Amino acid sequence: MNYHPPHISRLMSEIPGAPTAELVVSPKTVHDVVAVLHHASDKGLAVQVMGGGSHSGYGTPPEPDIVMSMDRLGEVEAWEVDDLTLVVGAGARVSAIEEMLGEEKQTAVLPERPGSSTIGGVIASGRSSLRRHRLYSTRERLLETTLVTGDGRIVRSGGRVVKNVTGYDLPRLQVGAFGSLGVIVSVCLKLWPVPEHGATVRISDRDQASAVTRPLAVLEDEEGISVLVWGTEETVSAMCERLDGSVSEGLDWPSDPTGPFRWSLRVPPALTDEAISRIPSAWSFLAVHGVGEIRAGSDSSDGASDLRDWAESEGGGLVVVDQPHATGDDRFEPWGAEPPALSLQRDLIAQFDPARVINPGRLPAGL
Amino acid sequence: MDLRAALGDDGVLEEPIDLHLFSKDASLIRGQPTCIVFPQTAEEVAEVIRVAEKYGTPIVPRGAGTGLTAGASPTEGGVVVVTTALNDIDVDVENRTAWVGSGVINLDLSKAVKQYGLHFAPDPSSQSACTIGGNVANNSGGPHCLAEGSTTSHILGVEVVLTGGEIVTLGGQAPDTPGLDLKGIVVGSEGTLGIVTKALVRLLPIEPDVRTLLLEFPSVEGAVATVTEVIAAGMVPAALELMDQKMMQAVENWLQAGFPTEAAAVLLAEVVDEKEGVESQARLIEDIGRRNGATAVQLAANEEERALLWLGRKSAFGAIAQMESDYYLHDAVVPRTRLVETMRAIYEIAERYDLYLLNVFHAGDGNLHPLIAFDASESGTSERVHKAGEEMVAVCLKNGGALSGEHGIGVEKRDMMRMAFTEIDLDAQARLKEAFDPSGTFNPRKVLPAGARCFDFGGVRREIPEGTWV
Repeated sequence: MNYHPPHISRLMSEIPGAPTAELVVSPKTVHDVVAVLHHASDKGLAVQVMGGGSHSGYGTPPEPDIVMSMDRLGEVEAWEVDDLTLVVGAGARVSAIEEMLGEEKQTAVLPERPGSSTIGGVIASGRSSLRRHRLYSTRERLLETTLVTGDGRIVRSGGRVVKNVTGYDLPRLQVGAFGSLGVIVSVCLKLWPVPEHGATVRISDRDQASAVTRPLAVLEDEEGISVLVWGTEETVSAMCERLDGSVSEGLDWPSDPTGPFRWSLRVPPALTDEAISRIPSAWSFLAVHGVGEIRAGSDSSDGASDLRDWAESEGGGLVVVDQPHATGDDRFEPWGAEPPALSLQRDLIAQFDPARVINPGRLPAGL
Repeated sequence: MDLRAALGDDGVLEEPIDLHLFSKDASLIRGQPTCIVFPQTAEEVAEVIRVAEKYGTPIVPRGAGTGLTAGASPTEGGVVVVTTALNDIDVDVENRTAWVGSGVINLDLSKAVKQYGLHFAPDPSSQSACTIGGNVANNSGGPHCLAEGSTTSHILGVEVVLTGGEIVTLGGQAPDTPGLDLKGIVVGSEGTLGIVTKALVRLLPIEPDVRTLLLEFPSVEGAVATVTEVIAAGMVPAALELMDQKMMQAVENWLQAGFPTEAAAVLLAEVVDEKEGVESQARLIEDIGRRNGATAVQLAANEEERALLWLGRKSAFGAIAQMESDYYLHDAVVPRTRLVETMRAIYEIAERYDLYLLNVFHAGDGNLHPLIAFDASESGTSERVHKAGEEMVAVCLKNGGALSGEHGIGVEKRDMMRMAFTEIDLDAQARLKEAFDPSGTFNPRKVLPAGARCFDFGGVRREIPEGTWV
């Protein structure tokens, strides 16, 4: 394991948004992770787990004593091409993994424009692919996890098979848990074959999208609506014809909205159109129809409170994905309404991270 | 008195015949309940939980009792909570979801939403009897979860009654609720964390077209190789089911579904898609099958033929009843690529123990269902059956597999958990259970083996004469 000298910590502090800490460690084995967490639990030190840094804007900004970089725990342990499973270290970059899988026409169905994000980061933050309406969200890709609990226990759960009900579903519980149950060290993912043919069809009226039964994605941004389809040659050409729009070959994934403020608006799927109409006109957005997820970006938080109030009144919410670190006291409350069964969530976390050292306070309600 | 006060006299049964009827599920393991209750609402479930916790008696949730691992057998005694009266269906067509009472029968849900062109994807073979609550408890699968995933992928929310009778709603129609995904851990927890009273399910559109093929093989290996090649060819059919000769014979004796009893194995494959896409996919499966030795390929000509093939497939376990009095069934999973060697080893084990083995399984998922038909009244047979079953599971684990793909652990496989996990892994699972159920009231001694946590799962049992509180 590398213990970075203090000057590296200072260097990191000069990167905007990067956490400052006394110590930056980059463990090379699961046992290194155990050693760091033992130490942290003993001394009551806060540990921030860092993948590619893509999701560090969620929640209250951490004030860690130790930053644990996962970049050296990103090796591919086993890629069973014919079984469509992949065992990989949590520190692996999503982009590199998807590129590798693409060579065999497979995908892990992770976010299409992952930037620098890692497998572990995507899982811990619970972000999903734009293909989730057809191929389900990130939680459905996760077959097995090896995690190190806050007090340094190595816990494996799930298994390396595509269907499994052996014991409690601890792997899925780690999706969106922001490390509160432990540091995810490696995972087994369920892969999916990528068919030969795909197309992107721009349509002018969203009702046209219902001409196909199960598109890969129906996406909408300020530019308009696109329907992404894939399958056999016959299916794709038939779907393109039926959609009656302007067709381009291949899957053209739009970029995520940018801005100092980034948001995730979540509503019941049938309210996606209304959600779009309620987004302040200065904001950019990308809506995933059929799911009720709308990603948005803005220069300020103006209008966010009204949007959150409306979304929550409809059973959804507005979550801050990122906001300027310098905002200080004006920070927009990151999560919104308290989640249900809060004391149970707290009890559960206490069973895995009793000294509450991993990403403390990142989750809603200071969990 | 407490339970009768809460549920009325009609809601509580304790006659010897009732206690016997509800003393086991579809597994071979029987328990001894104190009473059976039929709550009509979540509030009544909460009241039952409060009474049970007050008197330190176990609660065993039960849907239709089709479970195969004694998950609903009251092996530690206590109150069996039957959910069948919780049977409302509230469909939201625009959002393609429905709130469904735990007691609703799986097939009734799909029938209820068919008018909207929708269906509920998980379709266990027992779907005409099993309940949604049972599906949620076991994270049930079925032939069609190959393409769409098991129950957990289709549960967006649950209303669950927790310790203390606290009724909470977890998840909902909007995606990605912040905080821990408690709903996700409740699914598949076999009634050990709380009692789910209703579930918000995802409904999928019925695909425009379907092709169902039956491929006949002179060897099980050829059928298995076809499965591996189809998936490797970049397609995920809606279903890929394998049935061996003995199983086909059992089915044909019973309902004449048209299975070729002279073939060593058949593969039942189904593709769904837009109507332009199904032909080429069906052809691809046929080609791969023939390359691997398929001697004949039948295509279901119409919906009746298709329905008959599926009825044959899904009646397989029922068909055993007219052969032998008992059956013992495992549910292990192996990576698809290890199917051939695993199957070979399983046939060898059955031969060595001189047992009648039949196979019908979800080949596309690598989810095996080796089934041993036997007569438990013959002395020594049960012991042989269990020993053979355990060896079969051990082979699956050795080949990189898991204990159960869709039936759950219950009591049946509880003590095999140590074959799959370390003490520390199991302790973590036990801690999770402890966070939800500190008093150990919910379905005690299921899923995790005794001693998984340094504290004993039975909890502290107060000794109060049973009759006084029912």
